[in-house]
Amino acid sequence: MRREPLERLLVPTGEAAALFAILVVGGLLYTMSGGSARDTLVSQMFINAIVVVGMQVYIGNTGILSFGHIGFAAIAGYAVAIAAIDPLFKRLFIPEAPFGLATVHLDPLTATVVAVLLVALVAFLIGLGLVRSGARAGAVAPTMITLALLFLVYEAARNFTDLTGGDRSGLSFGPGNSLEGRGWIYVALGLSILAARLFRETRAGRLAQAAREDDLAARASGIDPAPPQMIALLLSVVLVAIGASLRVQLLGSMTPNFFFFSYTLLTLAMLVVGGRKSVTGALLGVVVITAGSEATRYLASDAVSVPGFDWLLKEGLSDLFLGGAMLGFMILRPDGLLGDRELGDGLLLRLRSAQPTPEPPEAPVASGAASTLTVRGLSVQFGGFLAVHDVSLQVRTGEVVGLIGPNGAGKTTLLNAITGVVPVTDGTVALNGEDLTRRATHRIARAGVARTFQNFRLFPSLPLREHVDVPAIVAERHRHARGRDARALLVAGDLWDARERRARELDTGTARRLELSRAAALSPDFLLLDEPTTGMNEAESAAMIEHVRRIARAVGAGVLVIDHDLHFITNVCDRIFVLDQGRLIADGTPEEVRADPQVREAYLGSAADRSR
Amino acid sequence: MTQFVQNLVDGLGQGSIYALLALGLTLIFGVMHLVNFAHGELITVSSYAAYALASRGTGWGVIAIAVIVASVLTAVAIEFLAFRWVRGASEFTMLLTSFGVHFVVAALFVMYVSPRPRNIPKPEWIFDTVRIGGVAFEVVDLVTIAVTLVTLVATGRVLRRTMFGIALRAAAEDFDAARIMGVRSNLVIRGAFALSGVLAGVAGVFWLMRTGTASPTAGLTPLLFGVIAAIVGGLGSLGGAILGGMALGLVQVFFRSWLPPDLAGLTEGLLFVLIALLFIVRPQGFVTVRRAERA
Repeated sequence: MRREPLERLLVPTGEAAALFAILVVGGLLYTMSGGSARDTLVSQMFINAIVVVGMQVYIGNTGILSFGHIGFAAIAGYAVAIAAIDPLFKRLFIPEAPFGLATVHLDPLTATVVAVLLVALVAFLIGLGLVRSGARAGAVAPTMITLALLFLVYEAARNFTDLTGGDRSGLSFGPGNSLEGRGWIYVALGLSILAARLFRETRAGRLAQAAREDDLAARASGIDPAPPQMIALLLSVVLVAIGASLRVQLLGSMTPNFFFFSYTLLTLAMLVVGGRKSVTGALLGVVVITAGSEATRYLASDAVSVPGFDWLLKEGLSDLFLGGAMLGFMILRPDGLLGDRELGDGLLLRLRSAQPTPEPPEAPVASGAASTLTVRGLSVQFGGFLAVHDVSLQVRTGEVVGLIGPNGAGKTTLLNAITGVVPVTDGTVALNGEDLTRRATHRIARAGVARTFQNFRLFPSLPLREHVDVPAIVAERHRHARGRDARALLVAGDLWDARERRARELDTGTARRLELSRAAALSPDFLLLDEPTTGMNEAESAAMIEHVRRIARAVGAGVLVIDHDLHFITNVCDRIFVLDQGRLIADGTPEEVRADPQVREAYLGSAADRSR
Repeated sequence: MTQFVQNLVDGLGQGSIYALLALGLTLIFGVMHLVNFAHGELITVSSYAAYALASRGTGWGVIAIAVIVASVLTAVAIEFLAFRWVRGASEFTMLLTSFGVHFVVAALFVMYVSPRPRNIPKPEWIFDTVRIGGVAFEVVDLVTIAVTLVTLVATGRVLRRTMFGIALRAAAEDFDAARIMGVRSNLVIRGAFALSGVLAGVAGVFWLMRTGTASPTAGLTPLLFGVIAAIVGGLGSLGGAILGGMALGLVQVFFRSWLPPDLAGLTEGLLFVLIALLFIVRPQGFVTVRRAERA
């Protein structure tokens, strides 16, 4: 993995400082001309920014939609209120608070620390639940679990009146006890922006983003999404809890409704309007939504009357604006105003485009022991359908082995079973005698089996560079592949000049080359390729043959390749296995297989008219 | 024992409402992969239709029909105005779209009716009970259960016997395959929304009879229970949605009757704990991910 202190530390830090400065200067300019109402508004906006940036860390980087972050905020809010309110006042609301909490009196800073720790603990437990539920981008279960948390905290706050004061009284700081000045808000805002921005460049942040883009592809690249997602969750709720603590102190009171549905709407709208995938976007959303809701609230107030628009300018307009903004952006621009762009992207692009082209990869020094991937008696059953039946095969490093067969023969299923994507019913998969059967996909990848997918799966909104960097991060830790330059694989794939482009912009041929380079960046012992030439014309196919050979040599891996294109297979493969209706019916050199009568009948017969 | 039977019927009555909502949610999930958080708006809009008629003294027979019609029209309108534009978008986008619809509808009622809840007079027989074998049953529960049964049987017939129903089930099974086989996706999706509107309308009639309230967020609580029921039943499974709804109603009623009175307010809170635990313990059993990973 490359250490890039300039790109990954200095520029993002400068970016965070600039964002902070823009917000603060803008806020000061706005309050200079107005009274205390503007002061409060700007303070609230800064606090909302802390909360929203906190949500960005989790929702933006993992792609998992959480409705529960405001539930965490509520926990923090109550913790701060209960701990920091002067017992003299607390007696008025919760005289019978359990555990002697009625007499506790912490200073605001200590109370905030307690609140943050409490929330982090709860989030850790919830996070374990999220992992258990198979959280991944777009999954329903984590959204529902977090929604349940939001409602649970709300119901608990309304019902445990001894502790919370419930709906009626709530909890209230005495006069003069709430937040003095804006000092702490500035500190918290600055640090939140910095933490959220730097998180995107950390190992955990980058792995979480890859998993957000494509969960399965990330696992097949050796990433276990759970730990980075947990780290994101913890950092995220810490920032949210800090924001919530400040909000309670600024408002000077706490009730169940402070952190419930309408605040969830407000913060989510802020997050998605500017662009949830970047910190700059989140902050832009905060500003846009604050301005919009203030404007609509002002227009809807009695102070304003625009002839002919009375029907529109009435109470509820600001909620309509929030809901409408969320709806409108989801329909027209789901990634928000900025998508995943950050403030300093232009500068970074210039820095990065000046990087020298790495040397094309050299074949590694013969590593002595050759590896063997052994599949023995493998069967996969879906319900009553036997997709793969008792298949045994072996691939060694240095050779390229083909797997052919008519549609529905079970080729892809076999590949999926080897890589742990579908469960193995019977049989074993072993790498150098180490049993890999029934291991998780990411563990099989880390053991040294990388793959591509039939309908290629990239990380659509990440740059090409990141596609080889991310598996290289994994390889460095789990594959002892220190020092190898993964970006050389971009050169080998003719992708170097396009390295800053996003994967979603690529044509099929380039996308498949990138997927091949990504798989190779894991420094695997074996590359399993699923139809690398589908959708390519003859010239592209021919070029692909070269790429497969070159890249396999570069990382010293054995290759198992599925393809329909006989020309491709016979040109690239040393040996060929033929699969028909889930069974292995032949194997041998391309010539032997071509001559096999059983193969002719099963495969060539049906495919003769397809192969040019 | 008597108490138990009473709770049972009470729970099934509540559960019927959730089941009807869950069934509609599941149908929509089947064709669109959308967990429709705007499904509650069908009841919100209907509640104002009921309020408008009830305040003119109209009887509940007419109100019931109006509620169902309003619900269907709302369902189709929401599909037309919002969801058709995000078809095939990520789950994230669709979820937030439905969330946005919820807030827009609520805001419109705040603006153009009132933020305060309005009262819908309940039918006179709502508190009547009948004694069968020494057990007193609330009429409203029995009616709810009976009408729900009829609705479910009719829905089953539609799904099994009509061309539309077969297309809908095929689409829910595998949308792309169904399209290739000539199922027209527009019609099926619109039909699914309309059908879910009918189901939510029937549920809405009984929900409004019980609560007697029209408000900008009238649909929120039934929506939440409907969503939970649909997911507990395994999103996409029609029978599961019905079972999930009934189970949820029963759990809710029994919780409420078993909890000490000063904790009865926590019924919903405890339900949420239960739901969260269900998800954590057996996510695969409760959320069917229908889109088999095509690697």
